[in-house]
Amino acid sequence: MSYIKPLSRVLYVPAVLFLGACCCNKSVVKPTPKAPPALPAPVVAPMSDIFFDFDRSVITPASQDQLRKNAEWMAANAGKNVTLEGHCDERGTSEYNMALGERRAQATKESMSSFGVDSARMSTVSFGEEKPFDIGHDEAAWSKNRRVHFVEK
Amino acid sequence: MRVNKNPVTVLVIVLLALLFLPITLRAEQVGEYIAISKEGSGRISIVLDKIASKGRLESTWAGSTDGTIKGALDFTGLFNLMPAPLNIRNAQDGTLNLGSISSVGADVFVAGTMSQKLGVPLLDMQVLDATGKVLLARKYEGRGNNLREIGLRFAADLVELLTGKRSVFGTGIVFVSNRTGNKEIYRCDFDGQNIRQLTSSGSISLTPAVSHDGRYLAWTDYTSGRPDLYIRDMSRNVTVSVRKQGVSISPAWRPGTAQCATTLSHQGDQDIYLINADGTVARRLTNGRGIDVSPSFSPDGSKMAFVSTREGRPQIFIQDIASGVARRLTYSGNYNTQPAWSPTGDKILYSSMQKSGEINIFMINSDGSGMMQLTSGSRNNEYPSWSPDGSMIVFSSSRQGPRKLFVMNADGSNQRPLLQIDGEQQQPSWSLKN
Repeated sequence: MSYIKPLSRVLYVPAVLFLGACCCNKSVVKPTPKAPPALPAPVVAPMSDIFFDFDRSVITPASQDQLRKNAEWMAANAGKNVTLEGHCDERGTSEYNMALGERRAQATKESMSSFGVDSARMSTVSFGEEKPFDIGHDEAAWSKNRRVHFVEK
Repeated sequence: MRVNKNPVTVLVIVLLALLFLPITLRAEQVGEYIAISKEGSGRISIVLDKIASKGRLESTWAGSTDGTIKGALDFTGLFNLMPAPLNIRNAQDGTLNLGSISSVGADVFVAGTMSQKLGVPLLDMQVLDATGKVLLARKYEGRGNNLREIGLRFAADLVELLTGKRSVFGTGIVFVSNRTGNKEIYRCDFDGQNIRQLTSSGSISLTPAVSHDGRYLAWTDYTSGRPDLYIRDMSRNVTVSVRKQGVSISPAWRPGTAQCATTLSHQGDQDIYLINADGTVARRLTNGRGIDVSPSFSPDGSKMAFVSTREGRPQIFIQDIASGVARRLTYSGNYNTQPAWSPTGDKILYSSMQKSGEINIFMINSDGSGMMQLTSGSRNNEYPSWSPDGSMIVFSSSRQGPRKLFVMNADGSNQRPLLQIDGEQQQPSWSLKN
């Protein structure tokens, strides 16, 4: 009887590895090839909005990358200031969303500061759910509306 | 029991009786009497006779006042209204046939006459119970020729007489509408009549609330480019703003004071502050991690319900104002916002976003027991606000598509539209009192 256990272990480990490999193959999404940069590429890309998960004001890793680029733009345009507009999707209730939009703008400002942008050049405002980018009523629209919008001043 | 045939005698007797009995005491006694006699048997049944009149002008007034009284009583959802049966008066002498009132199951009979005094409407109303006892006999003189107002004054007296409580007639609601293309503040009567626009910011105006003495209107406004709190002294038509950095969200007046609470973020976090009517900050009320928003005070002003994310997702908390100690009220659901403390002090309404994504209105006792769902299966139902007497609730609903205002009885029954005007209406506050 005692030799069955090691034997089953010997069989079990490769089996798990094999299954794991199968799962991995299925779940990995091939990265879509990025479009080649436009020919006379601008030195610094213009600033872009960043997006949030529902009822969250945490900066996602993807947004961190975008904020780093936005900070580069701020460095290259030292005379410019920026307003960070916090927005929410239409779900939830409007007074709470007003506060949530404010937290998104504040979190964005802190992150931009950490990339070296002077706080004095950034102001924040929350529009809650009052100014949706997309007036649709589905996740496709909502995901575009949960954003911090960068407005040059 | 004999019916007194002479209305003048009846009037004299009643007027004499009124001299000796304080009105409010009488109203409470009758209200109690009706409440006891109707216990467990539902609504009070009222026979509304057509108001009698002589002359063309008077009969036009009478017809219009019939409509006002019926509409107002109907609005409360407290009564069964029925027209007078055909045999209400004896054919020979025109005296009241009491048997016909009890035969249709009515508790109360209402009749009156409309006349004029130098072009001013004069309404003379009588209320009898089914035994013929006179419960109320009173004359109402029009102010100018505001007919609706005298009909409502009688209806208010009748409700107070039958229920022992003040009616909602004479109260009003402030709300937000985007009918002009911008969100502005409006007001309307308790029943959606007499709509008036109160702001013309051309910006975004939100979350209006009127102080308990009716003097101040507070609301959030984007005129300066960001959400600031505005307070208008309506007696002097002077408006001030708070002018702090960051947001200002959803003010609520503290009963017995000229102070309102609002969320500010000029010190970083979104916390609730007490603001004086002149726009200065009195003091900070909350200091929790995360968002604190949407204050609503207990009727004695000693406690405040509000929304906080201090324990993660938005939940309702109650804070004692004197000690600053807060406790969590809601544990069911993970998105509970917009608390509204009842004028009776024992209940709190709130809106909850459910797993389906639908927002519905719930009621819970202020000790956290007895949770009850008031709306369901009708898209988003939000922003509940109590009528000043606590008998009804106004809220916004997207059940017909765009957000409109609806009312319901305090138990969630009798849900119906309040007003049908263009655009979306939201954030109603039943804070205009009589």
